[in-house]
Formats: sequence, structure tokens, C-alpha cells
Amino acid sequence: MATRTDLINKSNQSKNIITYVIIGVVFLVALWLSTQSEGPSKFPKEVTDKFTFTAWVNDGEDYLKKNYRWVTKIIASYIKETYYFLEDFLLESPWILIAAIIVIPCIIAGGLRLGIYSSFVVYFWGATGMWEPSLQTVALMGLSVLLCVFFGFILGVLCSQSNRFENFMKPVLDTMQVMPAFVYLFPALFFFGIGGAPAILATMIYAMPPIIRLTNTGIRQVPAQTIESATSFGSSKLQLLFKIKIPLSLPSIMMGINQVIMMALALVVLACFIGAEGIGGQVWQAIRRLDVGWAMEGGLCILFMAIMFDRFSLAFSKDVERLPSDVQRFYLLPQSWEKYQIAKILEMPLSFGNKILKNICQTVTSAIAIVFRVLVSIFNKSTAENIGEFISKRYYVIPYFLVLFLIAFIDHYLLEIGTFPKEWKLSIRQPITNAVESLTVNPGFISFAKGLRAFVYLNLLRPLDVFLTQIPWWYTLAVFSALGYVTVGIRFAIITAVLLLFIGACGIWTQSMITLSSVLVSVVLCFVIGVPLGIIASYNERFRNIQNVVLDAMQTLPYFCYLIPVLMFFGGGTVSAVLATVIYSIPPIIRLTSLGLTQVSGTYSEVSRSFGGTLIQTLNKVKFPLAIPSLVIGFNQTVIMAFAMQIVTPLIGGKGLGLEVFNGLARSDTGRGLAAGIGIVLLAIIIDRITLAWTKKQREALGLIS
Amino acid sequence: MKLSKKISALILSVALLIGSFGQANAAKRLHAAIADWTGGIITCEVAVAILEREMGYKIKQTVFPSGTGLWEAIAAGELDFACESWPSYAEADTVMLKEDLIYEGKVVGTYSGDGSVDLLGTAGIIGMSDYWIPRYAAEELGIKTWKDLNKHKAKFATIESGKRGRLIGCPVAGWNCHDQKRLDLLGIDFQADELGTEAAAIAEAKAAYMRKEPFLLYLWSPHWFFGEYDMVGVQLPEHKTCDSFTEANNWKDCGTAAWPATGWAKDYTMNYGNPATFASAEHADAKKFFEKMSLQNIDQAKMLVEVDIKKRDVKEVVNEWLDNNPDKWKSWLP
Repeated sequence: MATRTDLINKSNQSKNIITYVIIGVVFLVALWLSTQSEGPSKFPKEVTDKFTFTAWVNDGEDYLKKNYRWVTKIIASYIKETYYFLEDFLLESPWILIAAIIVIPCIIAGGLRLGIYSSFVVYFWGATGMWEPSLQTVALMGLSVLLCVFFGFILGVLCSQSNRFENFMKPVLDTMQVMPAFVYLFPALFFFGIGGAPAILATMIYAMPPIIRLTNTGIRQVPAQTIESATSFGSSKLQLLFKIKIPLSLPSIMMGINQVIMMALALVVLACFIGAEGIGGQVWQAIRRLDVGWAMEGGLCILFMAIMFDRFSLAFSKDVERLPSDVQRFYLLPQSWEKYQIAKILEMPLSFGNKILKNICQTVTSAIAIVFRVLVSIFNKSTAENIGEFISKRYYVIPYFLVLFLIAFIDHYLLEIGTFPKEWKLSIRQPITNAVESLTVNPGFISFAKGLRAFVYLNLLRPLDVFLTQIPWWYTLAVFSALGYVTVGIRFAIITAVLLLFIGACGIWTQSMITLSSVLVSVVLCFVIGVPLGIIASYNERFRNIQNVVLDAMQTLPYFCYLIPVLMFFGGGTVSAVLATVIYSIPPIIRLTSLGLTQVSGTYSEVSRSFGGTLIQTLNKVKFPLAIPSLVIGFNQTVIMAFAMQIVTPLIGGKGLGLEVFNGLARSDTGRGLAAGIGIVLLAIIIDRITLAWTKKQREALGLIS
Repeated sequence: MKLSKKISALILSVALLIGSFGQANAAKRLHAAIADWTGGIITCEVAVAILEREMGYKIKQTVFPSGTGLWEAIAAGELDFACESWPSYAEADTVMLKEDLIYEGKVVGTYSGDGSVDLLGTAGIIGMSDYWIPRYAAEELGIKTWKDLNKHKAKFATIESGKRGRLIGCPVAGWNCHDQKRLDLLGIDFQADELGTEAAAIAEAKAAYMRKEPFLLYLWSPHWFFGEYDMVGVQLPEHKTCDSFTEANNWKDCGTAAWPATGWAKDYTMNYGNPATFASAEHADAKKFFEKMSLQNIDQAKMLVEVDIKKRDVKEVVNEWLDNNPDKWKSWLP
């Protein structure tokens, strides 16, 4: 027995050595090749001249514009009308009505806590002077979410019914999610005009995948026994779908809606570049004027709004927890404080108020129900019963609309309420601006910033840039294909080669290598900073909780909010671009490191401790190896986000494919922008597939999956 | 099922509610672009305020980045007008305008495009672009013109530019500044860095100024930066053009005597709009107004200071200016 394990160990070791030697040789050859070449490696000119992808796209676009623009115009005008309608309503109604429309459902769905939070959010919009842009953002987001949910639900149901359709949709959905939104944001402009319509359509492309996916999986995961028993009772296929499968998959669908809301919000902000109104425009104007405080206020409006919608949609999909009848229900304080007498006393008036309110609502509603029942019963008795029941069951929704009508009535006939009162202003601009400005002139901080900039540029960015751009293109292509072959298989190796050839033939090889190098540098920095933070978080729960809040905020803030501080401290240029990328894409690696380490079950580390392993040894020899799959997923997500950020970094001096996209769009050269956008997508897909396959192998090796 | 009914009830009722309160407005409407730099925003806001206050208009405004996309949006009728286009920077004007630009009775520009965009008239602002250094650096180092820059290039160097000096250049390639070409032709051993946006360039310049470091910056005037920070121009050679001296011609002949070895031309800025909109009888008054409008640099500069340095609201500042200076704009009314 012993000799056999020895043998396996030995063969593993020699296998490892061989792998390292191969990697070393490949790297050294690359280094030699890159020092041999004079300038950046160029794709053969005969190919790039013949392969005029850019011109084809532009011709195609012109053709579509000339012949089918009337179709898109009709679609756009419908969406536009609806959007303007909604916008006019939101902006011209008295502010209390709008506040009530938002706050009351929050109270109904999420209780007093969410109600208070949502009132704060609405107050914050008005107080920072962002009432109008906030509501415009709400209108844009609301309409796109509605359309996303409608079409996404249909597509999701279709996916769940046909395997072939599902297989067809999968790569489409992947592309929709990875493709930088800028690439289709601008062409959308030419087909659908400016403002709301193209913004909503672009948002649909970006935010629809989750609802399709989650509807599909929700329906597919309905337990087989349920389906069987339904069929045995003689349900037809349609009955089965609409009466059993879809109702049972509602939680999953609601989860999808939640994600759609979040993603739509992110893109609606970006849509300011094609003339959509809203907070995005405010933040962008603030950045233009270098007003950090203003940009942050806008960012916070979005952040608070996102949290509110997130909690609201979650609360909607969750059922109210039932408590034993002898336990006092807490409305504001956490239920776990129930053991403290003082908390009980504090909660008393709230629970009393709740009872009164509920009684009023019920009385009013049943009164209305009776009126309706009497009225309708003149014509038809049984319908009247149904209507009466329908109304009296909705003792929250009906009073809600009653309140809204009351406010509208008062505003119309008695007392004009108008817009948000100016006296309630609150501004946090100045303190934020002052803080950033004092850091800008702080000699200690600036010398640190300069040191960091010099280090990143001289030791990481420039060498890697030179290295990657100077390696001959065929060598890089061969290395990537080989990697694809080793990790995934021969088919993927061929696909990789074809995709890279496409990038080369479009004449954007150098730019893609620059993009690759800044992504790699950003990811390395994310690792160096993120993994230690993740380790600390895995050991200290309080730290983890604080960190999670910060990470949530980082991911929800529109990413151009923190471009200005980066610019002030580090100046414009590639280093700033890398740092902005790091800020944007670091959350997954931190989260997944801490998740991976905490998930390694206590027994493993206890065993290791009992054998006398130190903290470091346990971490290094037991926890890390077991957490590798989780780490790789974090790495994978970080890479994808870093690629996505490449499209924004040209705003602060980033180079590569992102700049290519921008330059293409600034000259309304869709082909050029599209080629570069596709380049980013292809690079991201190749790296994503390779790392995912590698994770799978690691898991298999660890015996985590069979 | 309970959930879906709740949701559908909500949606339906909100729709009903919207239906019962939405109302249309009867005023004359135009749709204007809000520019992406403060000077342009103010010029347009002056026009918008006068149209709304004096001529019964209701103007919808949309933030839109300047560039060819904006011109196409106006040609397509998505937007009705935009303000203060700078001829040195616009690419679309030569293709889309078909009119002479007249400033105070003199023809200052001739266009022979397809006429898909209507030249509404001059905005009044005359723009100048140059390279600038902060006064403290000019005095300390004794730099008077661009010829002195090479002596002190080490002072202007950064990590990225190495031994050469660094120019915080024209931020967007689409503006056709040809910074690097100009530096090379004039023999200035500096590297032009294109930072992607005005914000990026200004942020770096502002931070450097606050730290009292020397820097060389491309910028146009009037700009709020000059109201807050004391900058001096490096006096590039006067603007000259030479027909065979273009990028397409690979910069043949003419040596260093012509653009882009020289500075920029004076920019007589203009307002432009959709031809169909302004040809209609309904908007004839608006067209007349735009023909007469002419905002002076000094007035824009004053408002720039209020808006960008004192951080006041644009609409408030513009209305205050209109209230206090009726003599300056009453004559623009048709």
C-alpha cells in the first residue's frame, strides 16, 4: 500500500516539475522573442487590408438605417411616448403624492423599518436638490424593468419548454452580459433617437439575462413528483405550466426581477451618454466640473435608491414570518431584543398604532366592499359577491390608493402642494470636496501616491506592456490555444485560435495586448490587496460585516463617481486607469476569499490544530488548498469586471481597446467601435472559459465533485 | 398566485392613476442640448432663458456630449438646437452646414456642406486655444514663450514621459489638435498625453496647481480655470494654414510655417439647429432671435466665475444676469 501511494506522489511530483519546466520554457522563449523585435508585433498587412470588418459593419448599418429606420422609429416613438408620460406625471405631480406612491408600498411590503428607510431616501433626493433627476432615473428604470420582466418571462418560459431553444439562448445571454454596454449604446442612438427610448432598449439588452435564466431554472426545478401527481389528475401541458410550474417557480422569478432592477439601475446611469436624463447626467456634469461633492451626492442618491428597491423587491418575495401568539411582534427593533424589557416598552406604542391602523384600513375597505357589492348586486348577484370578497381582502392596497387620491384631490382643489420645499435643503458637497482637496495638497499622502504611481508604472505596467505587445502575434496565439487545449479541450483550442485571429485581422492586435496587460496588472493588484483583506474577514466577523457593507456600496455606486478622487491624487494616465479598475473589480476576490476560507469546515482546521499546526500552517497547508476553487471563482469574476471597466477607463487616460471604442464612437464610426468592443468580449470569454475549466479540474482533484 | 395578483393589481392601478392625472402643456416647445462644458452650458442657458421668459417657449433640455453624434442627432430632428460650436474642433460642420458664418457684419467662415444642419447664427463668444503654464512656474523658471520650454523640460517631466517634459494635451482625439505633431514640428521635446476627457486634464492640472508644481496645459478660453488659477500662455506662432498640409496629405511642404505647427485660429462660435424646425412658421421668431443673439466673452466669463467657482446654480446665475443687464440682450429680441 505504502509503495503505491509513494509512487503516485512521485509521479505527481514529476508531473508538477514537468509543468513548471514547460511554463518556464514558454515564458523564456516569449521573453527572448519580445526582446528580439523592434517595435510592437504587427499582424500581416495583407490580412488586415483584406479583412475590412469595420467597413462591412458601417455599410450594414447604413443599409439598415436607410431601409428599416422607420420600423425602429415606430418602436422608439411608442417607448418614448410612454416614458414622457411617466416622466411628466412624476415631475408635475405634487411631491407628497410621489413620496406616498413610493413610501406606502415599502411599508406594506417591508414593514416600518423599510418605510422609515424609504422616507429617508425620498427626503434625501429632495434635500440634495436631485428630486427631478432621481425621478427621471426611477421612470427610466421602472419602464425598462417592466419591459425586461415581460419579455424576459416569456423567453424564460420558452427556454424551460425546449432544450434546443435553451441551448440557442445560452451563448446569446452570455454575450449580452459581457458585451460592454457602450458598444450598443451608441448605435442604439442612431436607430432609436436620443434620450429615453434608446436608453430603455439598451438597458433591456443588458438587464434581461437574469430574469430569463431564473425563470428557466425556476420552472425546470419544480420537483418531478409534483408534476407527476398533477399529470395523473389529468392536467394538460398548458395547465401544468400555468397552474403548477409557474406558480411554484415564483420565488425564483422574483429573485430574477430583483437582479433585473439592480442591473437596470446600473445601466440607466450610464445612459446619460446618449442623452437620457436622470442622476447619471448629474454625476457626469459634476465630474466635468470636478465637483467631487456633487458627484458623491448623485452617487449616494443612486446607492440609496438601489438599496431601497433591492430590499423592497426582496420583501415582496418573502412571506411574513409567523410568530407564536404570546410573543410581542417588534416593528422597529430587531426581534431578538425581545428579551429586554425596555425594548418591549418602546415597541408598545408602535404595535398599538399598527393595530389601530389595521383596523381603520379594514373598516374602510370593507365599507367600500359593501358599497360595491350593493351596487353590483343590482345587476348580478354572484359577481357582486366575488367583487366584494376581492375588495375586502385587499385591505392594504385599497386604502393606499384612497390616500393617493386624497392627496391628489387636496392638491387639485384645496391647496397646491407643488415641488419639494427648498427650505429642507441638506448639502454634504462642501465637506466631501474639502476632504478630497486637503488630501490633494497633503505632502505625505501625495508622496505616497507618487511612489505608488511610479512603482506601478515602472515595475508592472510598462514592462508588461512592452512584453505583451512585442511578442510576435503567432506566439501569443499559440500559447493561448495550448492553454485552451490543456484546460478545456481541442475544440476550445481551435475556437480560441479563431477568435484571436479575428482580433488580429481587425487590426487591433496591439490595442488588445495593451488592454490585456492593464487587466492583468489590475488583477494582480486586486489579488495582492484583496486576499489579505479576505483572510482578515474570514477570522473576524465584525470586520467582515463592515467590509460587506462597504463592498456593497462600492459595487452599487456608479463607477464614474470615484474617478475624480483618483484623478486628483494620481493624475490622468494609464496608472489611474489601472487603479480605478482595481477599485471597481476588487469586491469579488475579497468576498470569495473570505467565503472560501470560512466554508472550509471547522473539522479540517481542528484536526490540523490538534496535530500541532500553527495558525499560519493551518492557513497555508489546509485552508488555502481547500479554498482554491472559491478563490478561482473570485479571480474569474474579478477578471470579467476588470475587462468591463476597460470601457470606462479611457475617460481618465486609459489606453487600448477601450480608447478604440471611444474614438470610434466620437467619430460615429460604429464599425471601429464594434470591432474593439468585440475584442474586449472575446478576450474576456477566452480567459473566463480557461479559468472556469481549471477550477473544475481543481475541484475534481480535491474530490469536491465527482 | 397571491403574489402575482398583488403585483398585477399594483401595476394596473398605477397605470390608472397616471391616466387620471397626466396633463399636456400648450406652450410652444423646443428641445435643446445641454453642452458638456460650462461655457457652452451658460451660452445655451441664456438662449433658453430668453426664449422661455420673453417668447413663451417651453424648452426641454437634454445633456448630450458634443461631437459628431450631436450633429447627427440635430440633423435627424431628435434635438432642435445646440449652442456654441467651436469651428476648430467640430468635424461635422464642414459636411453639414451650407451657409456663411457672419460675425458683426463680416464673413468669418464659409461652409459648403449638404445643409442637413442649419447655422442659426453666431453665439457671440470668440474662443482662443493655447498652451498655458501657471504664473508661479513662469516667473520662477523665467519662461516667456514656448522657445524657453526645452531648457526646463526636466521640471515638466513625469514618470510616464521619462526625460521629456509632459504636455497635458488636448483630451479627445476627435478634436484634431495634433498636439504631438505641433510639439515635434516646433522642436519642443515634450510628450503630449491625451487623457480622454476635459475633466481628467483639468483634474490633473488643478491638483498640480494646488501643489505648486510646474505643468504645461492645453486649454481654451473662456474657461473657468482662468478665473480660479493664474495661468499665462506660451504664445504659440500665429495661426496659418496651408492647403497641402493635412493629415491626409501626410504633412507635405510648408515646413513649420503652417498649422499644426502654429497656434489655433480664433474660434467664432455658432449656434446650430434642425433646418426643418427653424424653417417652420411657428418658430420664425426663434430663428430671428438666434440671428441676433451675440453673447460677449466678458459676460460669459463673469457667469463662469459665479457657476464654477462659487458653485451656484446655472439657471439662477443666468436669470440674475438677465435681470441686471437688460440693455445687453433686449436688442436680440425679434
